[in-house]
Amino acid sequence: MGSWFSKVFEKKKLEESAATAVVPEAIETDEAPESALPLPRKVISAPILADADSTTAPEGGIAIKAKLDEAKDTVTFLFDRQLLDGYSCWCADRKAAEASSPLALAVFDAGGAGTVLVYSSTLAVTRDGTGREGLEDYARRIGGVLRESLLAGVEAATPDFLEGMPSEEEFRALLQEVIDTEINPGIASHSGVITLNRVRGNTAYITMGGGCQGCAASSITLRSGIETSFRNVAPKLGALLDETDHEAGANPYFTDLPAGMGV
Amino acid sequence: MPRLETFDMKIKTGKRGPDKAPWYEINGFKLDFDEMTGGNGPAETLELTGEPQSFPHSLVLVGPSEGEWDIEGIEITYHVMGAPPYTLRLGGVTLDAETNLNIWYDRPPKVIDV
Repeated sequence: MGSWFSKVFEKKKLEESAATAVVPEAIETDEAPESALPLPRKVISAPILADADSTTAPEGGIAIKAKLDEAKDTVTFLFDRQLLDGYSCWCADRKAAEASSPLALAVFDAGGAGTVLVYSSTLAVTRDGTGREGLEDYARRIGGVLRESLLAGVEAATPDFLEGMPSEEEFRALLQEVIDTEINPGIASHSGVITLNRVRGNTAYITMGGGCQGCAASSITLRSGIETSFRNVAPKLGALLDETDHEAGANPYFTDLPAGMGV
Repeated sequence: MPRLETFDMKIKTGKRGPDKAPWYEINGFKLDFDEMTGGNGPAETLELTGEPQSFPHSLVLVGPSEGEWDIEGIEITYHVMGAPPYTLRLGGVTLDAETNLNIWYDRPPKVIDV
């Protein structure tokens, strides 16, 4: 089976040129050489300040905020407490939630969820595209389901969740092999490189470098390519977090998405 | 990426400031600010308006040509085509002759209490 990377990042064959290269002769002048151009400046970022907390009194003692991403049809719920400590729980469907996360299962049973990720004090839901309600209405409905579930004592992970969980070293070895043999050779034609920074529990942290840094297609590469390849070899992988500072990318391969290339 | 018609900045300077008119770059092109009031000397506040009328792949505030500029905070309001304006607040940062400050940010996602 050809990998996603080999299909998308197809290398262009270089044709051997029969002509010899022509090197222009240096032209001698009496003029003084141009002064060196100024070195390019480094672009830095200032921290973004959040607005003053406008949380209303938490209902039932549980404060929940919902961050809406219309482009990705995703809601990230932010809780005032840890849901899962040290590990993250990725549920690709209801069946996975049934096996590992009663809280995620409640979200699937409420309807409309495609995938659910429980990580630290957040729970992210990407919709399945079947519902007709707006994202904000969906967020309010699911927020209510989550609050009711937590008040009823529903756990974020089953007792068996950690059974058979690979060690951090095992995760690192599995993911590094995929990076070395499949991912980086595939994106090398676009001057891209992926670095596995660390694994904590079952959460992987990567950096996208070279032509990937700041590239408009980086989120697609991450979700459709890297994440799929990682989960194929490490099904118990939880969250995959991109630590790249994309705003500092000096030479992104795509500065804007080509036509027809959607998220 | 939306088309950025104009943007307004309010820059609060800390202990050190260049006390010279700054400029910005959009997509690598240098532009002067179209409106400017106040100053960027120590403890001063500078209010600026830029009118790039373009699609910002990059938008930076250029650091001073010499010395350092201690910025305590910046408030930026973006006026984009076809959508309501939005405002972001940035925290403290120091610029010098080797640095520019990124000032382009997409509209932040909406966050609600549920």
